[in-house]
Amino acid sequence: MKKAITLSLILFGILYVGRSLIPPRYNQAIEVKQFAQLPLLYKGRLKPMDTTARNTLLIIHGKQTFKNELGKRISAIEWLMDLMMRSDVADHYKVFYASHPDILGLFNIPHEKAADFKFNFSFNELLPHLEEIERQAKLANPEAQLQTPYERSILKLRQDLVLYQQLTHSLTSPQYVSSLKEEYQVYLGLMPAGVRAFNQQQAGEDHNEDALNYFMNFAHRYQILSETAAFRIIPPRIGSPDSTDWQSTGQSLIETIMMGKIDEVVLAYAGVIDAYRSENHGDFNAALTDLQTLIDRRYNTGWNRFRSEYIFNYFSPFYLSLTIYVLVFILVCISWLVWPDTLGRAAYWLLILAFSVHTLGLLARIFIQGRPPVTNLYSSAVFVGWGAVLFSVILERIYRNGIGSAVAALLGFCTLLIAHHLGGSGDTLEMMQAVLDSNFWLATHVVTVTLGYSATFLAGFLGIIYICRGFLTKSLDNSTALAIYRMVYGTVCFALLFSFVGTVLGGIWADQSWGRFWGWDPKENGALLIVIWNALVIHAIWGKIVLQRGLMVLAVVGNIITSWSWFGTNMLGVGLHSYGFTNSAFFWLTLFWLNQFIFIAIGLLPHGYWRSQLGVSEK
Amino acid sequence: MLLKLISSLKLTVWLLVFSMVLVFFGTLDQVHFGIRATQQKYFESIIALWQYPLQWPLGESLHWLHFPIPGGYLIGPLLLVNLIAAHTTRFVLRWNKTGIFIIHLGLILLLLGQLSTQLFQEENYMWVEEGKSANYLESHHHDELIITDITGPKVDGVVSIPIDLIDKQPTSLQHPRLPFRVETKAFYPNAAIVQRSHLTKKSPEMIFNRGLGREKDFVVWERPMTYMQDERNVTTAIIELIGTEGSLGIWLVSNVFDENFPHQHFRYEERDYEIALRIKRTYLPYKIELIDFTHDRYMGTDIPKNFSSKVRIVNPQSSEDRQTLIYMNHPLRYKGRTFFQAAFDQQTEKSSMFQVVNNPGWLIPYISCGMITIGLIFQFGYRFMRSSGNKN
Repeated sequence: MKKAITLSLILFGILYVGRSLIPPRYNQAIEVKQFAQLPLLYKGRLKPMDTTARNTLLIIHGKQTFKNELGKRISAIEWLMDLMMRSDVADHYKVFYASHPDILGLFNIPHEKAADFKFNFSFNELLPHLEEIERQAKLANPEAQLQTPYERSILKLRQDLVLYQQLTHSLTSPQYVSSLKEEYQVYLGLMPAGVRAFNQQQAGEDHNEDALNYFMNFAHRYQILSETAAFRIIPPRIGSPDSTDWQSTGQSLIETIMMGKIDEVVLAYAGVIDAYRSENHGDFNAALTDLQTLIDRRYNTGWNRFRSEYIFNYFSPFYLSLTIYVLVFILVCISWLVWPDTLGRAAYWLLILAFSVHTLGLLARIFIQGRPPVTNLYSSAVFVGWGAVLFSVILERIYRNGIGSAVAALLGFCTLLIAHHLGGSGDTLEMMQAVLDSNFWLATHVVTVTLGYSATFLAGFLGIIYICRGFLTKSLDNSTALAIYRMVYGTVCFALLFSFVGTVLGGIWADQSWGRFWGWDPKENGALLIVIWNALVIHAIWGKIVLQRGLMVLAVVGNIITSWSWFGTNMLGVGLHSYGFTNSAFFWLTLFWLNQFIFIAIGLLPHGYWRSQLGVSEK
Repeated sequence: MLLKLISSLKLTVWLLVFSMVLVFFGTLDQVHFGIRATQQKYFESIIALWQYPLQWPLGESLHWLHFPIPGGYLIGPLLLVNLIAAHTTRFVLRWNKTGIFIIHLGLILLLLGQLSTQLFQEENYMWVEEGKSANYLESHHHDELIITDITGPKVDGVVSIPIDLIDKQPTSLQHPRLPFRVETKAFYPNAAIVQRSHLTKKSPEMIFNRGLGREKDFVVWERPMTYMQDERNVTTAIIELIGTEGSLGIWLVSNVFDENFPHQHFRYEERDYEIALRIKRTYLPYKIELIDFTHDRYMGTDIPKNFSSKVRIVNPQSSEDRQTLIYMNHPLRYKGRTFFQAAFDQQTEKSSMFQVVNNPGWLIPYISCGMITIGLIFQFGYRFMRSSGNKN
C-alpha cells in the first residue's frame, strides 16, 4: 500500500513532465508550428519567431497568452502572426495594460468599467488617445530615478505602443493590398522608368513626372517599412561577403533598386502573407514550405537550432520544475508529521525529477546560447537555485532525514520564482556586452561565485528550517538538531571555498582586463562580504563563540548578506557590475530582509519560548 | 594576558565584523562620492568618519549623524598581528592543521600584496590617434608645471616641477636650470575659468598680467574637488616668475589649457620660454603607433561586441619593431607595463585610449590566492573525508 503511494506519486510527476513535452495545439488549422520556427534577427540574436512572439507579448501584456473577445485563449505566436499579417484583426485584441487611475482619467474611462476588462485595452481603443499619450510621455521627467508612478506607467505604455508599431511593420506594410506578390511586381515594373526620371530630376533635366511619382510612392512606403521594422527576417544571400548581414523586408525592397530583382525570400514571404490574409490554408502551408526551403538553403546551421529553441519555449523547464518543487516541499512537510518513510522517499524522487528538468533547462540554454550558464541576473537566479538544489540533494543522500529535500524544494522554488519575475523584461538570452564577452571567465569566475551564493543561501535556509521547527513544533529532537548543525557547518565550509575562489577568479579577470586585481567596486565588495562572513562564521564556531543555535542565527544573517551582494549592489548604480536594476526589486529585497530579521529574532529568543525542548548540552 | 588577547579567536571575529562594516559603508558611500574618494576615505585610512547621507530619507534632519569606522590601515595590520600572534602562540604544526596554516600564510601574503599595490602601483593612460604614435603616458590625477626653453632647435630644456612643490601659497622655488624663481601666487586644486565677458555679475580683478589669462581676460575661482570616476579636477595656478631685476610677470596656468590653446610663450634674457601646467607625463623609451582601431557591434544593434587596437611597438633600444593586437581581456604586457584597451573616441572611432598599469607586485595576489585555495581544499577535504569516514 505504502509502496503504491510512493510509486503513484512518482508516476504522477513523470506524467506531468511528459505532458509538457507534447507540442501545443493552436486554434487555426494552418502550420502555426512551422511558422513559429522561422528564424529572425532581433537585438543581435538569431531566434525563432516563437521566442520573439513570447518575449514581446510578455513585455506588452505581462503574460505569454491572452483571451480574445470570445474567451478563446490566444498564444503568443498566433497573436504575432495576426499582428504582422492581419493587423486589423490584432488591433481588436486587448493586450495593452494600463491600470494607473491617472491614465484611466486621461482616457476618461471610469475605473469600474476598466476593471471589467482587467485594465486591458486594444490598440483600437487606445487609437483616439495616441497623441495625448505621446504628449504626456514628453512631459515626463527624463531622469528615471525621479519619475512618479504615473510617469513610469505612461512611458511604459508609450514604449509598448512603439514596439507594437515596429512589430506591425516587420513582415510587410500593415496597409492592405489584394495581393502582395502583385504589389512587388508592380514596383519592379515601375522601377526602370522611375529611376530614370529620378536621375533626370536630380540632374535638373526634363523628366516623366508621373513615372517618378508612382515610383516614389512605393519607395517611400518601403523606406518607412525599413525604418520601423523591429527585426530582420531576410538571411544574407548565398555568397554574400558578410554572413551576419540579415535584412528587414523594407531594407531588401529598397536594395532592389540596386539589384534590379526582388529577393526570393521576400517574395516567398509575400506568398505566405497573401495566403494568410485570404485564409487559404492549403496555400499557406505550401507557401510556408517553399519559404522554409529557401531559408534553409541560405542559412543552414547543420542542426535545427530554431526547432530546439521552439521546443525549449513550450516545454518551459524552469516553470515545470518550479511547480514540482512546490509539491516536494508540501510532501516533505507532511512527512514530518505522518508516513515519514513513504512520503519522504516519494519527495526525494520527485526532487530528483524536478532537478533533472531544471538541469535539462540549464543545458538547453547553454546549448542555444553557446555560453556558460550564467550570463545575466535572470540566469544567475536559475543557477543559484540549481547549485543549491545540487548541494541539498547531496546532503539528503548523506543524512536521509528529509531536511535536504525540504531545503532543496524551498530554494529551488524561491530562486525560480525570482527568475520568473526577472524574465519579464524581454529576451533572457540577450547578447553579452564586450567586457563580459569571454566564455572562459564566465565559465569559471561567474559560475564559482554563483555557487558560493548557492551554498551560503543553503546554509541560511537550513538555519531557517532549524529555527522554525524548533520554535513552532516539537519535532526538533537532539539528533535532528545535531544533524542540521553538521549540515550547516559543512555547507558554510563549501560556501567559503566557492565564494573565495570565485572572488579571486574575478580579481584575476579584472587584472587581465583592466590591470587591477581589486578595484573596490560594489559587486566585488559584495563578494568580499560573503567571503569574510563565511570566514567569520567558521572562526566563531572554532572559538566556541557560538553554539548550535548561534550558528543557525549566523547562517540566516548570511542570507541577508548574500542577497545584498546579489541584488543590493546592483541597485547602487555604480561600478562595472551594475546591470539589471528594477524598482520593484528593491521592495522585494527589503521585504526579504525584514522577514529574515524575524527569523533571527526568533532564533535569539530564550530557550523557554521554543516548543522543542532541546537537550541542555547544546553542542 | 595581552598576548592572549591579541592572539584570541574573539579578536579575529571582531576584526572580521569591523572589516565587514568597513566594506559595507565603503560601498554605500560610492553612490555619492565615487569609487576613488571612497577608497581613500575608507580603505586607505586609519579611521573613517561616516556621515548620514543627505539623499537618504530624513537626510535633512539626520545629516549631522556621524560615526567612526576603523579604516583599512587599522584593520589590516591588526588582522596581521592577530594572525601571526595566533600562529606563534597557539598553533602546533600538525598534519590535520596543515591546510589552516597554508591558508593563513596565503592570507598574510595577500594583505602584504594589497599594501604593496596601494603603495607602488602606477596607473596612467595613453591616447593615440590612428596613423600617429605616442611615447608618453599621462596621469589620471597628477599634474606638473612645465617650463621649457625653446630657443635652440633641440627641445631638451624641459623643466618639470611636480605639483606638490607649488601647491602651497605662497611658495618660492628656485630651480637650478632656470634663471628665475617660480612663485605660487594662488593655487586651486579644482577651479572654474570663465571669460569675464561671459559673466553677468561683476567679479574681482585678477592679479595675472601676462599670457592667456590677460589676453582672454579670464576670471578664476575655486571649486570643490571632484572624485567622480569620469571627471577630472581643473588644476589651476597663478604663477609669478621673478628674475634678478624683479618680476617677469604673473601667468595663469591650468591643465585645461593644453588642448584648447597654444602654449604660453615669453622671452627672458634673449631666450624663448614656454610655461604650462599640464597633465603629468611619463616618457617611455619606446613608442606605440596605432595602426587601426575597430569597434564591432552585434549584428543589427548598437551593443558593443569587441573593441580592438592594432598597434606597432617601435623600440630603438632593443631595435624592436613589431605589430600586435590589444583588445578586450587581452592586454599587451611590455617592459613591466601592461596596456589595456580602455576607451576610444566615440565620435570618430579613430583614436584609442589605453590604460597603462605598472604594478611590480602584480604576481603576489596570484600566488597567495593559489595558496589559500589549496589550503581550503585540503582542509575541508580532509575534514569531509574524516567526518564521512566516522559516519560509516
